[in-house]
Formats: sequence, structure tokens, C-alpha cells
Amino acid sequence: MPLHQTMNATVNTEKNATIFALQGRLDSNSAPQFERELTDYLNTPAGHLVFDCHDLDYISSAGLRVILNIAKAYSACPFRFVACALQDHVLEVFEISGFDSFITIEGSVDECLTQLTTP
Amino acid sequence: MHCSLRIASQLSELKSLAEQLDVLADKWSLPKKCQAEINLILDELVTNIIEHGAAQGEWIDIALVREGQLLTMTISDDGPAFDISSCPIPDTTLPLAKRCCGGLGIHLVRKLTDSHHYHRIGGKNIVTLTKTLPKEGS
Repeated sequence: MPLHQTMNATVNTEKNATIFALQGRLDSNSAPQFERELTDYLNTPAGHLVFDCHDLDYISSAGLRVILNIAKAYSACPFRFVACALQDHVLEVFEISGFDSFITIEGSVDECLTQLTTP
Repeated sequence: MHCSLRIASQLSELKSLAEQLDVLADKWSLPKKCQAEINLILDELVTNIIEHGAAQGEWIDIALVREGQLLTMTISDDGPAFDISSCPIPDTTLPLAKRCCGGLGIHLVRKLTDSHHYHRIGGKNIVTLTKTLPKEGS
């Protein structure tokens, strides 16, 4: 991981969802690279998407921009985008920005999967 | 208590800013949430300066002064004049389809601080912000 790369995402597939486990800091350094990794999901969502934020230590407005783009992409397709396990201060940033009004936020990955398998 | 930081105006310096705040949070016994808020305030302002103003290689100076529970933060740079008070406040209640991200960084800064003042002195932008810190143990 180069010095300036401050965030890592591990991708897993479970049931009908792709789960991104985010780790580290999503700021103006790491957001452009993360957005590139999400290109396929932004352009052609092909299943549900879960962001597991348990190990996401930090988010700035640059990170919120990526989250907003994902939320918009998934609002226009048959699949859903859900975030879970946000640390207190990350949740606070979502709330101040009003993102909790249009993004479903769950406590854990299991709760997300239950949500997504319930019609 | 006083702490001065100087970073070069490039985005990779955000990592150095975070590391310096780690040290400060230890020294001042700041709770994790409070540290993250201070980091966010400074990150948004520094990112703004870099993306909208200062040339690569110029310096951004940050001073943090703590008197009891009052934290005063001063950020100064040599870039073009930019007053954060002049930024329009984004409407965070709009539905998803109408939301855009413009102004969100400065909105976060305003929400997480008690006051902010802008001055242009001697070709420098000087932003002074205050924030009340939580009492230890709370």
C-alpha cells in the first residue's frame, strides 16, 4: 500500500449481495482510487451492495461524495445499497450531512443480509 | 496549551496531519470522537485550500490553542482570498435525486465548530475557529 493510500476495501460475495469491508480513512487522498474501484457498481449494478464500515475509521466530504454517487446509482436500479456498523463519529458525519435520510444504515452485515433477502 | 503544525499544500499531507493529531490527542487526552471531529474540521479546510487555492509546495500553518475546554484553531495560507463564510449552505434535507456534494465540507466545519471568522491580512487567508471540548470522562 503506497504511503498516501489510506484506505483498503476487501470484497466478498454472500447470498445475493457484494460486501465491501472498508478499512482506514476515506478522505480526499483515498476517495478517487476507491471511486475507480467502484466503477462497475456505479455504472451497471448487478446485485445488492453492502458497505461494512466497522473498520472505517474516518470519512470526510470527499468520501461522502463517493457514497452519494453510489446511493444515486442504486436508487435507479432494482438492487439496493445498504451501509452498516458505522463508528460513532462516522455516523455523526452521515447525520450532519443528511445522508441517513436516504441511506439504510444497519448494525451489522448479518442485519443487512436479512434486510436484503426480505422482499 | 499550544500546538503548531505546518504542512505543505498537497493532499498527501493529510496523512501527516492525522498522525500529528494522534500525538496531540494523546497529550491532551481527547476522546476518539472529538479527535475525529478536529481532524475533519482541519481536513476540510486544508483540502479546500489545496483544491481551490494554494500552489503546490506552499505552506499551510495550523495553530491549536487550548484554554480549559475551549479550543481555538487558526489556519493560515498564502493562496488566493477565500472566505468560508461566503459559501452557500447546502440543503441537507433535499431528497436523494436532488442532492449534490457542493459545500458539504464547509457545512461540516460550521456544524462541528462554535464560531468561525475570516480575515485577509498581508496576502494571507486566516481562518479562526472555536470549539468547546467535552469534559474529560464525559
